[in-house]
Amino acid sequence: MMFHLFVAEFKRSWIQLLRYPTEVISAIVVTTIVFYGLFLSARYVAGPGVQFGDRMESIIIGYALWSLAMFIMADITGGLQREAQTGTLEQIFISPFGAPKVFLVRALAGLTIQVALNLVILVILMVLTGTRLAFPPMLLLPFVSILMGVYGLAFILGSIALRVKQVQQLLGICQFVFLFLLTVPVESWAGSFKFFAMLLPMVPGAGLLRDLMARDQTLNVGLWAIALVNGFVYLALGLLLFRYAERETKRQGKLAGY
Amino acid sequence: MLVLHAQGLQKSYRYQGKPIAAVKQVSLAIAAGEVLAFLGPNGAGKTTTIKMIAGLVLPDVGTVEILGRDPYRHTAALRSIGAVLEGNRNLYWRLSAEENLDYFGVLRGLSPRVAHQRGLALLERFDLMSKRRTVVQALSRGMQQKLALAVALIHDPPLLLLDEPTLGLDVEATQHVKALIREIAQEGRAILLTTHQLDIAEELSDRVAIINQGEIIVEESTEELIRQFSGTTYSVALEVPLDGDRHSKIERLGGTIEGNTVYLYDPSMLYDLLDILKPLPLLRIEKDDANLTEIFLKLTGGRGKGEEEREKREEGRVKDQQRLE
Ligand SMILES: Nc1ncnc2c1ncn2[C@@H]1O[C@H](COP(=O)(O)OP(=O)(O)OP(=O)(O)O)[C@@H](O)[C@H]1O
Ligand SMILES: [Mg+2]
Repeated sequence: MMFHLFVAEFKRSWIQLLRYPTEVISAIVVTTIVFYGLFLSARYVAGPGVQFGDRMESIIIGYALWSLAMFIMADITGGLQREAQTGTLEQIFISPFGAPKVFLVRALAGLTIQVALNLVILVILMVLTGTRLAFPPMLLLPFVSILMGVYGLAFILGSIALRVKQVQQLLGICQFVFLFLLTVPVESWAGSFKFFAMLLPMVPGAGLLRDLMARDQTLNVGLWAIALVNGFVYLALGLLLFRYAERETKRQGKLAGY
Repeated sequence: MLVLHAQGLQKSYRYQGKPIAAVKQVSLAIAAGEVLAFLGPNGAGKTTTIKMIAGLVLPDVGTVEILGRDPYRHTAALRSIGAVLEGNRNLYWRLSAEENLDYFGVLRGLSPRVAHQRGLALLERFDLMSKRRTVVQALSRGMQQKLALAVALIHDPPLLLLDEPTLGLDVEATQHVKALIREIAQEGRAILLTTHQLDIAEELSDRVAIINQGEIIVEESTEELIRQFSGTTYSVALEVPLDGDRHSKIERLGGTIEGNTVYLYDPSMLYDLLDILKPLPLLRIEKDDANLTEIFLKLTGGRGKGEEEREKREEGRVKDQQRLE
């Protein structure tokens, strides 16, 4: 049953995407242009002879992760807002699966799209900047922990979207916060700063990913366990909050955006 | 067999800090194969009630049972509901008719194969087969509404909730949707229907419940309600004026005369009256039959919240006029 739902969600999201491709293409173009602009101005400021070393690779990984996270957030919150308007949201809430399950399956099905788009972006960035990144299969492990964090935050924002129907400004603030969380190399910090950094969403996983892809290091299993727990906690928090928001929204009769 | 049993539903909202009692006391029961027309002026609480039944609005007080199960406790009970809700199309605009049916079938718990088969059968039946590959966005309003109805039926639910299913449709599309609803009812489904088009309600419903300001004021079988409100007065229109002799005879029967028309209040005297009138040429004989619109207006005092406001404005105007005089 769940598998059927997954396939149905998978088809629904890919069909909707491919039927109106200009939106995707422009998202990809804008995301890469913004990065390339940042890259060129950084090189201009630093002078032509400067070597970024592994910093460049780390930055690209951070940026690609950031755009993936933002795509996922926008997808989930935007979807909720749109569907509240067209009335499909209420139909989902009448599903015998229950809304949280439907939205979780939907998020997983949509992930294939988000990953595909952001791989395209990543490859374009690598070509533009002449960077080489390693793609060891091990990278999937920290990647999963990051995704759990991203979805946890997406469900938290989604809960807010369900209640107030307007989260554009919040999404804008998230952009900056996420850029910080995903690109600052907290893994090289020391002491209590590092400890607190490990509590922030997505941060431990992002550090591990940079280790694997830019620094050719092997996976630190201890850190990965921390990253996994971190991701799990944020995901659980997001889902709990979503259930609460569902109940409150039903109490206020505001599912359809009254 | 009762499909829907809702008891003592109450709901008040808060709006700008003030509580609004949207539904004060509503109990509804619908049996299989029965159409209940749920009528009431704007803001009476119809949509709120329907959403409480569908589990979309949490009641403050009261219980809902669908085939004996509470949809709040058992989400599986939601499988028994199909709904076309107010004001929107309930469809994915970027998907075709067929894709919408496939998707919603699985969302309601069908296997993809069964969903597809049922989808095709519904497209056929709703006369949408030629549009199966068209995206919803490009369908006409009437077709969208028919598709929404098909989507609500994809999992063969025993209870169908229809909140203003003919809103915004032209005459032809309205007729078509009306015919479909009648057909669907005959399959043994329980249907809860709200509409402001009372002629539709009169034609389709077995029973009528009228709600006003959050309370049900009448619940009665449609026929019975119309019979109760129908008068016993006959009116007989003549082609020629009456002479004085007939005049007095009619008055002795208890009739009255206005122009060329005779009104008779005791139906058992009808043939005595016709004897008196013989052989004058008749235009028509009519029994004063109520329709749902008249009954509705009588019972609700012709006033929803909108109406009250209009009255207040009117009062203001009268006062203005008095001041001028
Ligand atoms: N989510 C909400 N928050 C606050 N007030 C609401 C909400 N939903 C409905 N109301 C109010 O509750 C009352 C009943 O509304 P409802 O939509 O149930 O009426 P209705 O009978 O469906 O009217 P209509 O015929 O116009 O569709 C109205 O006064 C409405 O303004
Ligand atoms: Mg309504």
